[in-house]
Amino acid sequence: MRTLAELLANGLLLGGIYALMACGLNLIFGVMRVINFAHGEFLAFGALLGVSLVIGHGVPFLVALVLVAAAMGVFGYLLQAALIERVVDGPPIMSLLLTYSVSTILVNAGILIWGGGYRGMPGVFSGSVPVLGMNLSQARLVAFAIALGLTGLVYGFLARSMLGKAIRAVSELPEIATVSGIAAARIRYLTFGLGGMMAGAAGVLMAPMFASDPQMGARFVIKAFTVIIVGGMGSYAGALVGALLIGIVEVTGGYVLGQTFGTAILYVLMIGFLLFRPSGLFGLRVVAR
Amino acid sequence: MTAWILGGALVAAAAVLPLVTASYLVSFTIQLFLFVVLAYSWNVISGYTGYTSFGHTSFFGIGAYGATLMMLHWKLPWLLACAGGGLLAVAVALPLGVVMLRLRGSFFAIGMFGLARVFEAVAFGWADLTRGGTGLYLPPAYDLRPLYYALGVLALGMVLLTWRLDNSRFGLQLLAIREDEDGAEALGIKTTRLKVRAFVLSAVGPGVSGGFYAVYLSFIDPPTAFSPATELTTIAMVLFGGMGTVLGPLVGAAVLSVLYEGLWARFPQVYLGAGGVIIAAVVLLMPRGVMAVAMRRGWLPHGRGTLRRLAARPAAPAEA
Repeated sequence: MRTLAELLANGLLLGGIYALMACGLNLIFGVMRVINFAHGEFLAFGALLGVSLVIGHGVPFLVALVLVAAAMGVFGYLLQAALIERVVDGPPIMSLLLTYSVSTILVNAGILIWGGGYRGMPGVFSGSVPVLGMNLSQARLVAFAIALGLTGLVYGFLARSMLGKAIRAVSELPEIATVSGIAAARIRYLTFGLGGMMAGAAGVLMAPMFASDPQMGARFVIKAFTVIIVGGMGSYAGALVGALLIGIVEVTGGYVLGQTFGTAILYVLMIGFLLFRPSGLFGLRVVAR
Repeated sequence: MTAWILGGALVAAAAVLPLVTASYLVSFTIQLFLFVVLAYSWNVISGYTGYTSFGHTSFFGIGAYGATLMMLHWKLPWLLACAGGGLLAVAVALPLGVVMLRLRGSFFAIGMFGLARVFEAVAFGWADLTRGGTGLYLPPAYDLRPLYYALGVLALGMVLLTWRLDNSRFGLQLLAIREDEDGAEALGIKTTRLKVRAFVLSAVGPGVSGGFYAVYLSFIDPPTAFSPATELTTIAMVLFGGMGTVLGPLVGAAVLSVLYEGLWARFPQVYLGAGGVIIAAVVLLMPRGVMAVAMRRGWLPHGRGTLRRLAARPAAPAEA
């Protein structure tokens, strides 16, 4: 019974970080119908930049978090403005190919910068904390709290602020938004920046939990895809619920079936949803079939 | 006519190459043949049918592992084992195609990408059979010439098959699916059956050549078998040459192989990223590839052979 509770708790904690990553991915999809294949590399760059700052330059963890998130936000904004904007109106496969190519360029740039090996962040939030009789990793608790806080903050921004409302308007009815005086292109840059910021922050939060390497993106982007497909493409709240669910499925699946086949379970879930419920739990009525 | 003479000369040159030259060029050409096979196979499903796959290394890896295991456990001769690897890839592709081809566009691409990662994870995890990350070793092949000819014949076969496909009813039906699947269905094209057929067809080349690659390296492990770099290079080649064209994959494979070889020798740090840069440049600057540019400039005749012949045929009398 104790193990079950610990599995659920650990799954939930992992899911919180997936939420931060996947909500950004889904925000991007919602606004411009582009699936950002490079989202995993945003996460990897976030993690590796975080390790460089904290371990290499002795920057405090929270300061590094803010710096890296800001840097990845700017990077996402510029990437959209310089490259992806050009294919937004084209066939979806062209934008996917473009983000796929960006992903491979980033992986190799990462290897050039940091080398191919794994980098950890030892000594940051190490050890565990007793919670309700369970021993939970401190790094996971902190990451979960910050990740959910950030996800909520962005949700509040989308719900309340003028800019957030403009983003939602472009997501729902781009033509009407444009004739209402919203500069749709600028909103798209901003959305990509926001997505980059969230993925970068998720990377920094993950760095104390797992060793990071430039090729980690592919492992996590598949999970993020699974999250938004299960949660519902384009739905911010859906991605949040999906992420917590996927975290739990991954941890319990890995415990029951072993690491390898636990990952395969996620994939089966993704294909199952794509085939039988393409709009996911809360999604827009779109597109998969 | 010139095209036939040129093609014949190319084939003849390739046939005598291993008889006259050193092993470096033979080794290079083996890899070129390998990518010609992969590029043409990918072109069938992604170029003609319009289902962009990010996971065709699945079949490459399955073929590689299938052939290697058949050689190790059943002591099959390598050629037979590679054919067996191809059969295995087909046997996997058939049920997968039925399921995966219900997904469209980006979702198919992502689904296939995930699939390759799952196969890789299984190759790691099923250590009793695959020896996991340690990999499987084969007795080294000292004479590469038999392998050279086997891959050369397979590559030539893929080119001829695509040429036939481009001029066939089947090929035009696939193009119709690419342009407007619902429209094609409404016109009575049995889209599901044809898509699955194209998908299975596109798994044969990777399946067989995966085995050849294992023989070439005399080694296989999960990252080699299901390498995203192989996928990336294949896609870059077809995009560069032109998706859904007869000669595009050949041009793409030749140009990029030479380019990669040069980069590998001079700038080994950046050559892996080159595939990404090429895909980005093609998507942004010439999304229909070099072949389309050549047609626009008038270096090649416009349109497809079949359509040109149809258009050139004297019109039927208006009243019967």
